[in-house]
Amino acid sequence: MKDTFSTYHPLLNMLYFVGVIGVTVFVVHPVILAISLFGGIAYSVLLKGWKKTVKFNLIFSIPMMLIVALMNPMFNHYGVTIIGYLHNGNPFTLESCVYGLVMAMMLVCTMIWFSCYTIVMTSDKFIYLFGKIIPALSLVLSMCLRFVPKFIREAGVISDGQKCIGRSTENGSLVKRAKHGITIFSILVTWALENAIETSDSMKCRGYGEKGRTAFSLYRFDKRDILCLLFMGASFALTLFGFSKGYTFCQYNPKIIVKGIPLTAGSLLVYLAFLLFSVLPVVLELWDRYQWKQRRKQVEKAEQANYRLWEVQD
Amino acid sequence: MSESMGKETKQNSSKSDKKNINHIDNSIESQTDGPGSILEIKDLCFAYPEEEKRALNHISFQIKEGEFLVLCGKSGCGKSTLLKHMKTPLTPHGKRKGEILFDGKNLHEMTGREQSQRIGYVLQNPDNQIVTDKVWHELAFGLESLGYKSAEIRIRVAEMASYFGIQDWFYKNVAELSGGQKQLLNLASIMAMHPDILILDEPTSQLDPIAASDFLGTVKKINRDLGTTILLTEHHLEEVFPAADRVVVMEGGEVLCMGTPEEIGEELKKQNHEMFLAMPVPMQIYAKVNSGKHMECPITVRDGRNWLNAICKEKQIRPQEAEFFGKDAKEKLAKEEIILEAKDIWFRYDKDQPDVVKGLNLSLKRGEFFALLGGNGTGKSTTLSIISRLRKPYRGKVLLEGKDVRRYSEKELFRGFLGVLPQNPQSLFVKKTVELELFEMVGGTKEKKNEEYHLAMEKCEAVEGIVKVTHLEGLLHRHPYDLSGGEQQRLALAKILLLRPKLLLMDEPTKGLDSYFKKEFAEILDLLKKQGVTIFMISHDIEFCASYADRCGLFFDGNIAASGTPKSFFAGNNFYTTAANRMARKYFPMAVTAADVAEALLDDSRCV
Repeated sequence: MKDTFSTYHPLLNMLYFVGVIGVTVFVVHPVILAISLFGGIAYSVLLKGWKKTVKFNLIFSIPMMLIVALMNPMFNHYGVTIIGYLHNGNPFTLESCVYGLVMAMMLVCTMIWFSCYTIVMTSDKFIYLFGKIIPALSLVLSMCLRFVPKFIREAGVISDGQKCIGRSTENGSLVKRAKHGITIFSILVTWALENAIETSDSMKCRGYGEKGRTAFSLYRFDKRDILCLLFMGASFALTLFGFSKGYTFCQYNPKIIVKGIPLTAGSLLVYLAFLLFSVLPVVLELWDRYQWKQRRKQVEKAEQANYRLWEVQD
Repeated sequence: MSESMGKETKQNSSKSDKKNINHIDNSIESQTDGPGSILEIKDLCFAYPEEEKRALNHISFQIKEGEFLVLCGKSGCGKSTLLKHMKTPLTPHGKRKGEILFDGKNLHEMTGREQSQRIGYVLQNPDNQIVTDKVWHELAFGLESLGYKSAEIRIRVAEMASYFGIQDWFYKNVAELSGGQKQLLNLASIMAMHPDILILDEPTSQLDPIAASDFLGTVKKINRDLGTTILLTEHHLEEVFPAADRVVVMEGGEVLCMGTPEEIGEELKKQNHEMFLAMPVPMQIYAKVNSGKHMECPITVRDGRNWLNAICKEKQIRPQEAEFFGKDAKEKLAKEEIILEAKDIWFRYDKDQPDVVKGLNLSLKRGEFFALLGGNGTGKSTTLSIISRLRKPYRGKVLLEGKDVRRYSEKELFRGFLGVLPQNPQSLFVKKTVELELFEMVGGTKEKKNEEYHLAMEKCEAVEGIVKVTHLEGLLHRHPYDLSGGEQQRLALAKILLLRPKLLLMDEPTKGLDSYFKKEFAEILDLLKKQGVTIFMISHDIEFCASYADRCGLFFDGNIAASGTPKSFFAGNNFYTTAANRMARKYFPMAVTAADVAEALLDDSRCV
């Protein structure tokens, strides 16, 4: 099932992910990261369901987090608050510990957002956006995406054919297997080159190479997209404004300074703006679902009324 | 007719090497009123570089606007070469004379843009023509190239998707489509540019019969609804002949004759030409049987039945009831006679997917030719791959000469027992020439015994023998990819035969072959059978199986639904049977091939 935000214009999808991942990577403020993590997990649950999200986080995120959080204090020794000394005599500092944790969180956030990105930004959308910038590239990408599955399938066919004349890559001596593998590859390359001639004929037949090629796409930028873009722009601009004012300034070296905890008016503004920005796709989807439910209820009500009417008449 | 012939020959009389070309064309109509010619080929000669023989020799004919013209002829007669001349970017290099006029204008003077827009060209292979990864993008490709605005492309694409019924798979990846859908997509993406003439070069040769019939139906519809001129080459003439306005028959780079399908039938009958082999079955029967009265040549099965009714009336042959044969009658075979036995095979690709093969039982007698027929995607190819040990059934087993196939070693199984001919012969070709290709199979050209070659015979002797059997003489120094489809098929077969298989498995070997190659191929199979090779093939080709197989089976729902000799197998079927049987079943229920029907008609014993 497609979520609502995916159905918006690719440009919005792209801008959104650039924005949210950019903030996550460049702002090392713990609250901002927490907001980003919350938004990311919520969206990933919507896109992939509970099971997959939990599995992903257990398998990738938590081990990753542990490694990074432990690695940082082992190799970095800056900071003024020394907790103890490592066996080689280097100091073990609070600052590097905390920074390790923050880094770990940032990494996890980024990974979660990227996992959403791969689902939302399908190859079409990517090709479309790049086609706007470099038209030739979009066709090349599209042709690659066509060619690769074809190539893989043909490799299977050829390998089956070779197996049936007793030349499999699965058993026999290593040298022989390698030899058979090379034969398969050689057949595959010949096949690909030979058949590419026909593809190029087909392209020429349809006027490829004429001047003034355009790039067609199915996407339309409509009113809904404008509204969404305005909202995204406003919330993101507010967040950036807050950052530039230093409302959420933070540093970990040499001393930990985290502004915005406890809450100030400025930092609250930043938090709220960023929260709105990062939960945008989730809210859109939930709102959509809610509306569907409402409409369904109305339909059910209408049916019931009809039924009663019919009963009375009878 | 003779008038027009005189006229045409007068026009071309300056050519000394012009042979007996018969223009049966009704040229009076074409020159005065009626639609003008959209494409005119004027005395076109062409020879490929470094070749003495001309591929095209003094070809001239016209195509009228809105006409459906079928170009037919044996493989290698120059059909494709001729079609390639009608589109400048595809025109091969070589020596050329004569000219082609499109709408009164020389083709070379047209701009590339105008050509790509007005002349649509659909090639043979559905897969290779597709450029992009998405259906919608493919539809828009031509329009993008010509620089149309997005809004206009949107309308055209929508139009095409609706007309061709593509809406349901509009967003799909092209890799997910079936062959028939792919070819339809190719057609639609050409039609999106609104061409005046549509040129199709054997568009259905890679499709199964149902998809082929659908595709040709769409082509006919385009011709009828939109008035687009069609120029088509085809092997499946049964489908296109009824729709064709005119037919041009080519032979050896020359036009043999042209005219309406009926006229072609008459003309070829008069000449007793071998080209008849490729004609629709009713025409073949017509050609073999002489009747007292003059009757028009039948094109379709319906016409054929009427014609047969008339003939039978004349000869006083009465209708005959078909007998029902116990098709599945199991004859007990002696154990030594069975070369292959499949017992209760069940197979599915994935645990969650439905079964593809369900409890299949099959036994093959030593030395027989068994053909397994059936629709697309029913699991025929899967069955073949199970027999050849590429896939393992999750229940049941395959016995080869009474021994489980899994207990054979690789060498025992594939060198000297099983020969598997893949669907695409190209997937076997490794070397630069046909000769090297054959020697590659026996471990190189050196006369040294190795594990790949164990026969007592000298290698070159073995290769020579196989070359003779598969009629590859004269092709030994060609590149495998330069051979025609039928020749490639024979080369692949030759490679497999060098392994001396006892049991030959083939996956649709007649796909894309014309009737001559099919006949030649059948002769080779016959020779192999005489040497004791058992043949198992899966096919869509009812006519081929009916003519040459010893036993046919119908694969349906993961199992063999019925099997029997071609006669008993096809005689009882109403739909799933040969065209000859459909035509003549009322009088000769046991006649399955064109030859059978003709024989029955000529046999006087039943005449009262």
